[in-house]
Amino acid sequence: MERRTFIELLGAGTLLVPPLACKLRGPIAAGPTNLNGIPTTCELCPNKCSLLAVVKEGRLAKLNPNPENPKSRAMLCARGNAAIQQVYDPDRLKQPLIRAGERGEGKWRPVSWDEAFDFAANKLKAVKEKHGPEGSLWSSTEGFQEVFFKNLGQAFGSPNVMRHPTLCLASMTLAYSTTFGTVPSFDLLNADYVIMAGANRFESIITPDTMDLIGGTMERKAKLIYLDPRFTVTASKADEWHPIKPGTDLAFILAMLNVILTEERHDKAFVETYTLGFEQLLEHVKPYTPAWAEKETEIPAADITRIARAFADAAPRAVFYAGRRSSWYTNDFQMRRAQAILNAVVGNWDREGGMVPNRKVAKGEFTFMPWDDPKASRVDEVEKAFPLANAKDGVYLPLRENVLKGTPYPVKAWMIYKQDPMHALPDQGKTLEMIQQMDFVGVVDIAMSDTAWYADVVFPESHYLERTDPIEVMPGIWPAAVYRQQAVKPLHDTKPMLDIAQGLAKRLGLSDYFDYTIEQWVEAEAKELPVPNGMEHMRKHGVVGFEKPKYGTTRNAVHRFVTKSGKIELFSERLQEAGHDPLPVYTAPAQPPANKFRLILGRKATITHAALTNLPWLHEHNRENDLWIHPEPAARLNIQTGDLLEVSSTAGTVKIKARVTPEIRPDCVFMLHGFGKKSAWLRRVHNVGAADSILLETAWDKVSGNAALHETFVKVGKA
Amino acid sequence: MGTKTKTKRYAMVIDSKKCIDCKACVVACKAENKVPEGVFRNWISVERSGDYPKLRMTFEPEQCHHCDEPSCVRVCPTGASWQREDGIVLVDYDACIGCKYCIIACPYEARYHNPETHTVDKCTFCVHRVDKGDLPACVETCPSKVRVFGDLNDPKSPLHQLLATRRHEVKNPQTGNGPQLYYLL
Amino acid sequence: MREPVWEFLIVNYLFLGGLSAGLYFVSGLATWIQDRECKPAYPALARLGALLAPWPVSLGSALLILDLGKPLRFWKLFMHVRWRSPMSIGSWLLVAFTILSLAYLWSWLDDAERRRWIGRVPRRAYAMLPAFLRAWLEADGAPRRRILALAGLPMSVAVGIYTGVLLGAVQSRPFWNTNLVAQMFLFSALSSGAATLVLLRFLSKDRPGLRELRFLYGLDIILMGLELFIVLPYLIHGNLSSLAVKEALGLVMGGPFTFAFWGVFLGLGLLAPLAVELWEFKPFLLGRGPFHVNPRWAMVAGALVLIGGYTLRYVFVFAGQATGF
Repeated sequence: MERRTFIELLGAGTLLVPPLACKLRGPIAAGPTNLNGIPTTCELCPNKCSLLAVVKEGRLAKLNPNPENPKSRAMLCARGNAAIQQVYDPDRLKQPLIRAGERGEGKWRPVSWDEAFDFAANKLKAVKEKHGPEGSLWSSTEGFQEVFFKNLGQAFGSPNVMRHPTLCLASMTLAYSTTFGTVPSFDLLNADYVIMAGANRFESIITPDTMDLIGGTMERKAKLIYLDPRFTVTASKADEWHPIKPGTDLAFILAMLNVILTEERHDKAFVETYTLGFEQLLEHVKPYTPAWAEKETEIPAADITRIARAFADAAPRAVFYAGRRSSWYTNDFQMRRAQAILNAVVGNWDREGGMVPNRKVAKGEFTFMPWDDPKASRVDEVEKAFPLANAKDGVYLPLRENVLKGTPYPVKAWMIYKQDPMHALPDQGKTLEMIQQMDFVGVVDIAMSDTAWYADVVFPESHYLERTDPIEVMPGIWPAAVYRQQAVKPLHDTKPMLDIAQGLAKRLGLSDYFDYTIEQWVEAEAKELPVPNGMEHMRKHGVVGFEKPKYGTTRNAVHRFVTKSGKIELFSERLQEAGHDPLPVYTAPAQPPANKFRLILGRKATITHAALTNLPWLHEHNRENDLWIHPEPAARLNIQTGDLLEVSSTAGTVKIKARVTPEIRPDCVFMLHGFGKKSAWLRRVHNVGAADSILLETAWDKVSGNAALHETFVKVGKA
Repeated sequence: MGTKTKTKRYAMVIDSKKCIDCKACVVACKAENKVPEGVFRNWISVERSGDYPKLRMTFEPEQCHHCDEPSCVRVCPTGASWQREDGIVLVDYDACIGCKYCIIACPYEARYHNPETHTVDKCTFCVHRVDKGDLPACVETCPSKVRVFGDLNDPKSPLHQLLATRRHEVKNPQTGNGPQLYYLL
Repeated sequence: MREPVWEFLIVNYLFLGGLSAGLYFVSGLATWIQDRECKPAYPALARLGALLAPWPVSLGSALLILDLGKPLRFWKLFMHVRWRSPMSIGSWLLVAFTILSLAYLWSWLDDAERRRWIGRVPRRAYAMLPAFLRAWLEADGAPRRRILALAGLPMSVAVGIYTGVLLGAVQSRPFWNTNLVAQMFLFSALSSGAATLVLLRFLSKDRPGLRELRFLYGLDIILMGLELFIVLPYLIHGNLSSLAVKEALGLVMGGPFTFAFWGVFLGLGLLAPLAVELWEFKPFLLGRGPFHVNPRWAMVAGALVLIGGYTLRYVFVFAGQATGF
């Protein structure tokens, strides 16, 4: 009741959308729900679902979905449910550790926090004295307390704060923001026609997209066209699955554009009003006919034509979904740009069932003492090499190359938060080399990751259910601000990242930058939430979200897109100036030589990145990874399911069992991420299966610097 | 008139086409019911067919069918397996001697020998939640809302309406158990 | 294929329960049939069967209890009578059968033996028994033998059937779910009793006489004939039945249990001993005087019947659990 009135008040306040503009279909919160529990926010993947933690006698009993978050669609996935096991995991990091043997030998000395802080601070100070603050690297993956880690690195004076996007979605975000000035969301709940290329949305859960697509395609019979070299769960649910030749998605999209533009099926009024460069685009796509694309993609020209027409006819309730799982090829940016252009010309921009610019929930900011900008420039030389990329996030693989070469200057201390570069980066051998050339490596994590296994000091962070975190805003069609509050007291001698930052800051003489508590920080944020008594509301509900989407706010003559021209840039002058193709130009990808295969990657709903494979409830469903290989090459190589294989690339060699399956193209092989761990404290996956990062070669997208993960060819044979 | 006093009959509708084999229901059940490693109260069976590139893969969530004529209850020598008036089939863990006859008698493989308690165990429809007015854990947590739980005798329940308007089937009706998991076609 | 939850302990239990039933049945018949002097026709056979009958079933019940997840709770079986549960009925039946078979055993003891056994019981404990029971224990059992034998006939048939019904009454296992299983198990149980007695009579000091052997052979041939009479319809009818039954039968018709079923049970355990016994019987059957008595062959036949009976239960327990709809 209370929540209803509140949401309605918000709706009434904006008055831009007619009521019931989008009624959620399907039983999104069917039946009664249990609101007994401490509202908090999941941390097991980047979706940040709202949940209610049921605590009995000081122990976590169950985590239930919190239906109040419109983005998380009243669900909690397998991983979310398994978070309890992380807390009570006997293999968990329980107190600070200092390395006692060689790096990677697994000999540890449990120490007090004071000793760990002193040890790390002395090492950091020594590096600073010798190499300056820029001699330290601070890398992290996203998380609510990442801000404190980053701040520590910046306050320390290092320009080398390295975030995760270039191992993630940097090429996609750059491509869409180059075109639209912003990265939109896709209204899969209301779309009639959806094309997904390699975005395995039913195995790689993204809220609310996964849930909306199931509701959408299954209950509304909206078409789902799916392109993937692998027959995934998404492929099995799609109306059409096309096992496209890897690396040719751009050809497919350009041919779709060719059909739509030459047949004048695009949204002329929209293109006229909102876009720039249509004439160049029309000229540009002329050679890219479906007949030409058939040769590249191995998808019949007739299918491409049919799909292009149906897509244009269904617009604006038609979307070519962006996808977000890293980059695949070195031309990834241009492929995503072509998607953006295709979406633009059919006029699905900011329409129900189309592509919608993200809305945000307002929140306050805590003001802390600012520090001076670093004097040195970044070691990855991002401004020079990737002028369009987000310089603050850095570019990970070029950074590793420079650190290994020692140019433009040496980097000798590496602090890592919540990230496992040993698995997150391709070419584990190089990462190991990078670790070995460091004078000091410190890791903050909740479990002994492979990177932590090679560190000098390991700081155990409190589990998310044991701590209170800053408020996080998740933009989207159904935006939400979520709060993570402590559900149980820390079980072991662990600390939240803020306390760890403070402990180090004190010894590094940086305490002034961290003279606040998490409560003060959160209260400042909660003050400006669009609800009365924001703090109290968050404690009681854990989330502020908007249930009703707003469409069309940017579809008016006065709206200025955040691009150079203020319009949607089909043709991009910025790209041209930076020395890139202003319109996506296709170059055929290299093909694996005879007897080699392209190694492709993908995700599963029970694993997040390379983590969680050690949790019993999840491990039960993924005991070991294997190498998918098509029956035809398997017969040629005399390989049967269960055979131990030796797989090698120029980066490394692994041994892994075979899975002979028709669910993959004959020219590709596939393996799951998250196995073959070196850390003996991940006992279920220690030396079980194989790590893809050993095989993957170093390659990146030319424009964004994003790691390109499908550029590796491997040799496969019986071990 | 009579419906008011009519007793409840709990049942479940399963829309398998929506199932994405994400295992949320399986893990939620394990957490809710403290199910030991290696045994399961619910699971998802996978069926594959076809030749590249014409392939098919379908998923079906399974668990106890809370049958109308439960063979497990019939064969139990001690009365440990029993059925509530609302149809929920339960095991009285204090009365169970662990003879495993019910495991054999169940046509749906829904029962298992609990390696920790040494009694037989199975899905309870989360009776402890249902009795408080909540949904079973698997139903609530499901990302694609494959399962709909409710009272068969309540004409206003979404479950009743789905069964009235959608084609559906039950598994192995020929065993005569009267299963109460309804799979939408 | 599904994992079995009932394994060898249950196989042993079904076999031993059936064996006791067979021993009691054969001994009972041998007691009940009288010669012209109104005395048991085959006293040595009857006494041997009576002395053996209670023990296999007791051992089998102990194994069943050990197979329980909660063995210490076995007494809960006797807190209820659940007439729709074969196991509940069977548990009561086994208790009644065991008590009856012990009473029957007691009746076959002579005075000295009875006194020796009573003498082993501490006097104080013995004195606590009710007077009628003490009187019963001390009295000569001979007059009671016939009535106990008679009472034992339906009881052993019931136990023999029960071991089959336990499986046959499970409608979710098409391999089991036919009334023929109960009868197959019954005849197999009774013939295993007869075979045990053949084996042991030849091992005992006083070799069996021709008349006794004729009785035993005749009985065994009839029982094995009946068993064959059940097994063949079971296979034929199963193959003509619904798909689930047919598929279940596939386990023995070219599946993992084919050798055990055809080779060991049917060939070695049924047809071979039947052939041996018929061959031994041949002169008698053809009216050419007394039959051969080759103790070695007779003992081989007896052993084969026991192996066959055990294999039958092994195949049924494991194959049945692997089947379903």
